[in-house]
Amino acid sequence: MATSQPPLRFTGHHNLVYRLVLSTLTGRTIHISQIRSSSPTNPGLAPHEISFIRLLDAVTNGSQVEISYTGTILVYKPGLITGSTSGTGASGGMINYELPSNCNRGLSYYLIPLCLMAPFAKAPMKVFFSGPGVITSSTPTGDMSVDSVRTAILPLYNQFGIFNNIELRILKRSNPGPTGRGGGGEVQLVFGHQVRLPKTLHLMNAGRIKRIRGVVYSVGVSGSNNARMIETARGILNPLSPDTYIFSDVANAPLVPAPDKTNPQAKRKIGLGFGLSLVAESSTGCLFSADVASPPSGGTAPEDIGKQCAYQLLENVAKGGCVAPAAAATMFTLMTMGSEDVGRLQVGREVIADPSVIQLARDLSKFGAPGWGIRDAAGENEHGDVIVSVVGRGIGNVGRKVA
Amino acid sequence: MVVKRKRETTVVSKPKAKEDSPPAVDNAQDVFRKLFEAQFEPLDLPAPTAKAAKPSNSDEDEEDDDSDDSGSEGDWDGMSDISDESNQVEVVEHTDARAAPADRMDKKAWKAFMSGKVVSSLDKPTTKPEPSSKKEEEEDSHDMMNLKHDLSLQRLLTESHLLDSADDLAPTGKNRLKALDLRMQSLGAKDSLYAQNKMPTAHRRGIKAKAATKEDKRRREAKENGIILEKPSKVTKSSNNGRRERGVNGASVGKFSGGTLNLNKQDIERVQSSGRRMAGGRGKGKPKSRGGKR
Repeated sequence: MATSQPPLRFTGHHNLVYRLVLSTLTGRTIHISQIRSSSPTNPGLAPHEISFIRLLDAVTNGSQVEISYTGTILVYKPGLITGSTSGTGASGGMINYELPSNCNRGLSYYLIPLCLMAPFAKAPMKVFFSGPGVITSSTPTGDMSVDSVRTAILPLYNQFGIFNNIELRILKRSNPGPTGRGGGGEVQLVFGHQVRLPKTLHLMNAGRIKRIRGVVYSVGVSGSNNARMIETARGILNPLSPDTYIFSDVANAPLVPAPDKTNPQAKRKIGLGFGLSLVAESSTGCLFSADVASPPSGGTAPEDIGKQCAYQLLENVAKGGCVAPAAAATMFTLMTMGSEDVGRLQVGREVIADPSVIQLARDLSKFGAPGWGIRDAAGENEHGDVIVSVVGRGIGNVGRKVA
Repeated sequence: MVVKRKRETTVVSKPKAKEDSPPAVDNAQDVFRKLFEAQFEPLDLPAPTAKAAKPSNSDEDEEDDDSDDSGSEGDWDGMSDISDESNQVEVVEHTDARAAPADRMDKKAWKAFMSGKVVSSLDKPTTKPEPSSKKEEEEDSHDMMNLKHDLSLQRLLTESHLLDSADDLAPTGKNRLKALDLRMQSLGAKDSLYAQNKMPTAHRRGIKAKAATKEDKRRREAKENGIILEKPSKVTKSSNNGRRERGVNGASVGKFSGGTLNLNKQDIERVQSSGRRMAGGRGKGKPKSRGGKR
């Protein structure tokens, strides 16, 4: 569809992933230029961006990508989101997707946009991520852990009427490898609920935090790190929320192939470290998450990680509104894709003032979505929250319309 | 002798447990009371910790309370005492008291949370499972008991005619077998296991005649008394339909015995008549097939 329309033109590498997702969802061709064109050493698309484009190619049918020699110009003509239908790279109903070892982003960088497209796919989206670049923990590049995606992002789809048969299994954990590149994790995403249109959302009561859950993981290091992180985090959070549980998971270090001259079968351990993912749930079902993991360089005490994560959670909660900063893009995009009705969402002032959210709003309006209406929240508005009214585009699932 | 020894050991062990438990309870109560007093008015209960610490003082307080109706001074003393103690306790007790029970996360909760499933509301099962599961278990056991009782009562009602006396409610011996047979029939068995199916013809006729007269009598009496009975069920005479069940591969006419197919007159007549009729009346298709079969 929309072949006659001229491509939308963007510049720069910012928000590239969401631009690609929006392009796929709306069916508009995009033309992105000046991607890191000013960088003398690494111009053009970065490895993780290329990986994402490859992933897009795997889950869609008929999409065309053109990249210039230097990688600074990208033209993307989207196809239909097919999900994992057999015959399109899926084996056994599951798309196997391997990330290269030079990937320095956490898996959530791929997962969150993929989940955004999955409800609008034609068939269930089943992707198995493996390879030497899968990092399940949170990363220094600012990606959340896969645990947080599962516990803080995916439950949000429930509010849009998307809840059936959604699973995110972490089969193998991995922290970022040395210098923050590579990992050896294995993650399986099953997104089996496809809808025509997501429901219109009205979420204006943040409620009070009623419980805090968390996952603390240590990969290839002693499990006592877990206990230490839990103790510190609980020490901070327990007086504030008595219903606090942090689940501990101790995993072996993943092995990735590292062939050398003498032994072509050689493998090495990668992705050692530990980390903590916390999720706070309010009485109205709003979720706030926080993620901290040990840096690849090491040298951080688990107590510091626990403390940092607990404070980060409190900070996220303190920002107010019904949406955590990390989930704002997901919520707004789904609301925009909803039926032609006005959805309302209460958002903290700091959350909406985030540059990435503003960029998303600009991109959305460029893709033809009506602008957001913003007004101050009514009632006792102690945080200065704003209510954002988003009109759905009513496009929804193009694949479903045909099928 | 052995029993006595056992008793002794239990007696010894009990006080130990008692000695261990009270301080924790007191501390918890202290914390609670302090919280309460921070929000509301101070309580003027004689503090158990104060008693434990200095019994003479508490006695005096009590006397004061008894003597003074206003009790303001007594309240004030209590406050200061409590606050002093709780300040000391709070710092030490805070992490210890809570970490101990909370660290025990049951496996079920862990599995529920760490499974790949997306829980719409952050793992509901983890908070509830213990109380709810206990309750459910109790309810289940209650239900099970009720069902058992129901079943036994039903059986007693249906099989009570088999029982000789009211002393033994469970049938034994022959009666047990009969009861089992009844149950089989209620579950769908066609005939009783003990129905005699081989007997002299005269015997069977007698039985049938008797049953017929009985039924006849019952109906007649009912009619005379103006009672409306159910309609008599039509007895289908399966044997009289003329055709008996034949084997799958056997001949469709005659009687096969001793390696030969014997046709009597009737069979021959029937075959000939049907063939004629077929040939004349209905058409050609049928008799051919018949012929093939033969």
